[in-house]
Amino acid sequence: MNCRDVEPLLMPYVDGELVDGERVQVEQHLTVCPPCARHADVARHNRTLVRTLAKQGSPAAPQALRDRVLNTVRATEQHRRQRQVLRLSAAAAGVALCAVVGHGQWRSFQRRLYAEDAVRRHARQFPLEVRIPQPEALEAWFDGKLGHRVAVPRFPNAVAEGARVLNVREKQAAYIRYDAPAGASVRPRQVGLFVFGDTGNDVDVGARGDADLRNSNGYNVVSWRDGDLVYQLVTDLDEDDIRSLLPPEPRPRRGELPSQVQPRPPLEVQPAAFRP
Amino acid sequence: MLGFSKSDKARAEFEALVAPWLDALYAGALRLTRNERDAEDLVQDTVMRAYRFFDKFERGTNFRAWLFKILTNTFINGYRRQVKERSLGDESERQSVEAQFFSADTTAQTQNPEEYLLHRVMSEDVLAAIDALPIDFRLVVILADLQEFSYKEIADILDVPVGTVMSRLFRGRRQLEKVLRDRERGALQQPLVDLNAYRERKKLG
Repeated sequence: MNCRDVEPLLMPYVDGELVDGERVQVEQHLTVCPPCARHADVARHNRTLVRTLAKQGSPAAPQALRDRVLNTVRATEQHRRQRQVLRLSAAAAGVALCAVVGHGQWRSFQRRLYAEDAVRRHARQFPLEVRIPQPEALEAWFDGKLGHRVAVPRFPNAVAEGARVLNVREKQAAYIRYDAPAGASVRPRQVGLFVFGDTGNDVDVGARGDADLRNSNGYNVVSWRDGDLVYQLVTDLDEDDIRSLLPPEPRPRRGELPSQVQPRPPLEVQPAAFRP
Repeated sequence: MLGFSKSDKARAEFEALVAPWLDALYAGALRLTRNERDAEDLVQDTVMRAYRFFDKFERGTNFRAWLFKILTNTFINGYRRQVKERSLGDESERQSVEAQFFSADTTAQTQNPEEYLLHRVMSEDVLAAIDALPIDFRLVVILADLQEFSYKEIADILDVPVGTVMSRLFRGRRQLEKVLRDRERGALQQPLVDLNAYRERKKLG
């Protein structure tokens, strides 16, 4: 072997990737060729240094991430069991559904994709970027982070835990997590609220001002539109508990006087399957 | 019920297998996404996906390589697109870096013999230099030098031939070392960039 043959083999040699025959040939060449031996030595030195420093500088996974990841695995397992039960009832419901499907099928399909992805995102319990309970402070935090304003609704029976930016189906949304405290009929639960900016009517959530409730993977999703904002609320609360949570109190947007706010008509929250 | 105890067993098995690699997954995810928030999301997505497909994992084969295959696929299919959306200049920047690199490659080999990196180089410099690599080189360098996978394992993870792994690793390391050597020289004039302070600033800003 000469230098030209050896050169392309130096990196795999240093990485310990050469099989016996080639390795021996390279080693023999290195004993008689100081320039190639120096090349190999530099490569080995730099490789070791880069590896050592890269590993030293890499932080361990935060404990909160570890806990969350393993908790989510456990939660998924519980959910999978619930889904098995749901699937059976869904099969029965499917027969009934076929009769009403037709017009608006595509829009309803799109709507379901958003609902399902929102559920998936909420269920994963991604870390919050900010933890503040006041809706005004959350709105200020979102200011400039998304291409749209974010109006954070206040719910009578839930307190905001915090918020972050989260994508739903390629669309960036504001995500606010609320804690619904334990009440008479309500177990302590979490509620996730996605806020999309939607001037182009891309996110189809049903008619304007209409709330649409659907069941996805054991979660309930309530969607409604408020002007150019689309809200999607994900929770494992059941229907009655959602009723106690909704409707959100209308409140002034930032920069608007309270007297200018038109109270929205009360939301009709109905499970999609129960619609006449 | 029988079905329940079986899946409890599978879950326990999965947890025991995945727990030792969370640090490694996070370290890899940080270099791929280049920020902590996306890295955490990527690790979580990866583990959930691995759990969902756990029945497809062949027991007794390389679990770590299987996890990293899911990590890189998840990144390439989802996060990379997101990250690109955030920084529009990414694609053109990448092309210019690559073009510069390929043209420099042929001449540099003969004109510029490799040099020893000095021990003055800091961890932060190495990580920043990895982060600056174009994605194809970065993936291979992360897998080879941060995770110490073999060429064959990397080829399996990325679904490319071993020869491609070798050439990307060669070029990736070369570029990495060039950045580090330039930084060593520049270090005399200006202080090194403190990556963590930079990230903190970015997070606050």
